[in-house]
Amino acid sequence: MLAYLLNLATLVCINAVLAITLNFIMGYAGIFSLAHAVFFGVGAYTAAWFAMHVSASIFLAIPAAMLAAALLSLVLALPALRVRGEYFVAASLGLQVLAVTVFSEWKSFTGGLGGLIGIPPVSLFGHDVTDPVQFLLLALCGLVPVMLITTVLLRTSFGRNLKAIRDSESASYAFGKNVAAIKTLSVAISAALAAIAGALYAFYIGFINVESFMLNTSVLLMAMVIIGGTGTLLGPIVGTLLLMLLPSLFSYMTFLPQTQIGAIQQMAYGLAMVLLMIFRPGGIVGARSRKAV
Amino acid sequence: MLFLQLLINGIQAGALYALIAVGFSLIFGTTRIFHFAHGATFTIAAYVFYHLYAVAHLHWSIAVLASAMAAVLFGLALNRWVYIPIQKHEGSFFTVFVAAFGVSILVENLCGMVFGRSYVSVDTTLSRSVEIAHGLYVSPLSGVAIVIALLFFGGLQVFLMRTHTGMALRALSDNPELVRAYGLSPRRLSMSVFALGSLLAVPAAILSAMGSGLQPSLGEHVMLISLAASIVGGIGSLRGAACAGLVLGLAENLALAYFQPQWSEAVTFIVLFLSIIVRPSGFFGRVIAS
Repeated sequence: MLAYLLNLATLVCINAVLAITLNFIMGYAGIFSLAHAVFFGVGAYTAAWFAMHVSASIFLAIPAAMLAAALLSLVLALPALRVRGEYFVAASLGLQVLAVTVFSEWKSFTGGLGGLIGIPPVSLFGHDVTDPVQFLLLALCGLVPVMLITTVLLRTSFGRNLKAIRDSESASYAFGKNVAAIKTLSVAISAALAAIAGALYAFYIGFINVESFMLNTSVLLMAMVIIGGTGTLLGPIVGTLLLMLLPSLFSYMTFLPQTQIGAIQQMAYGLAMVLLMIFRPGGIVGARSRKAV
Repeated sequence: MLFLQLLINGIQAGALYALIAVGFSLIFGTTRIFHFAHGATFTIAAYVFYHLYAVAHLHWSIAVLASAMAAVLFGLALNRWVYIPIQKHEGSFFTVFVAAFGVSILVENLCGMVFGRSYVSVDTTLSRSVEIAHGLYVSPLSGVAIVIALLFFGGLQVFLMRTHTGMALRALSDNPELVRAYGLSPRRLSMSVFALGSLLAVPAAILSAMGSGLQPSLGEHVMLISLAASIVGGIGSLRGAACAGLVLGLAENLALAYFQPQWSEAVTFIVLFLSIIVRPSGFFGRVIAS
């Protein structure tokens, strides 16, 4: 039981980092990215490759992962942020689909469809972190800084710029804000922090493959952010907790046909999204009508 | 010879993509609602046809009619009970998109639960290929697809140019406030456009069921294609969406001559990316890049 709970808690931490970083661009900058799983994947693959070929030290693998994800986000941001919101959705969708194909084909880096096995455990000051309790502490040490960084960023002028852009891009232009640069920077920060989650995931499971980084994952992350409440600080965490505990909850409902549990879960997310958007667009944590935070 | 074969396949796929893309572009251009559940309309139409024709063995005309009714009713119900309530109190792009997304997930999984997640297809003589030249296989389905696409586009042109509702729809996509000032109801017009747009997905759905087979996740793929085609063609331009649909169908198939099959879906998005970088407003769209 304890091992199960520790596992759940670690996965919640990893997914919470992803949800918080996605909320950073979706809720505060108004950029709807369906490609967040790509940055998760790039972080995981980079950290895994780094650990297998260079060094498993956490202080080297994680920055390498962050750098790779940030550079990739520039590829997405630079063309797509010149145009309106709908275009970014399409471009991010395109990047997600493209990335899945690349992940499946680039065998030397990602191991292709078979994935990467035998990822060495992460080493902290020379000590290999293999114990689940220690890893949970490590995951929390990843979650807390990400929360702090995003909260601090949102309280500074950068955060105010983001909210201004979300509320009215033309007004921000009129005030002389370099909208494209601010948006690109926010996407890069979000991608880099998401890569931390990717690295932690790779070290935790010791095996990664393309199945964890497909459109389904991006959709799940979006559901976590939306159901929890976009544009709030607690929303992503509530959303993550809810959506990660839901599968376990469903498996206890023995009256549901076991083979259809996956579909029922997805239907629950879909229904929650639709109902929330009609009656409570701010999500669980958000205000009744989406008031700015 | 391979090239010619891929060209024919590409035109067949392109004709169907064009139909779907025009349906989406019509809805989005006229009502500015990001109807991400258009792929769900396609899925419903396809599965209803499959179930009534291939499983229940009813006559094809009944199956086609039922499929069309299901698609139109779905589009209307979605507009009436999801999009209009959202637009009443907030209606930002984000809210509508997420709601449509939720609906598409619901429909995809519901179809998967009811009809199974494996590939199913409708067996007809139309999809039997005939070797018309050495190495060149064409089925009557290609011809049917092209003819039906042209018929529907012709009908759509006539509808938009000659009928009152059609002219009102064109006015709505141009300037919603003026339409209201004229005494027309944008809400009622939006019902018409959803019915029309959803109807356009029906022939594509039926022909896909016969030609390439069905899977619940096909709706997702179809949605991506129609989104890509609408953007590449230019938002608000039906001609653009149709041309772009054709181009994407051709690109997806011709790419098989140069790349491995896994990359054919990626080719669609490479085209989309390049189009956004080079010409963000699309082939026929109004300039929108900042």
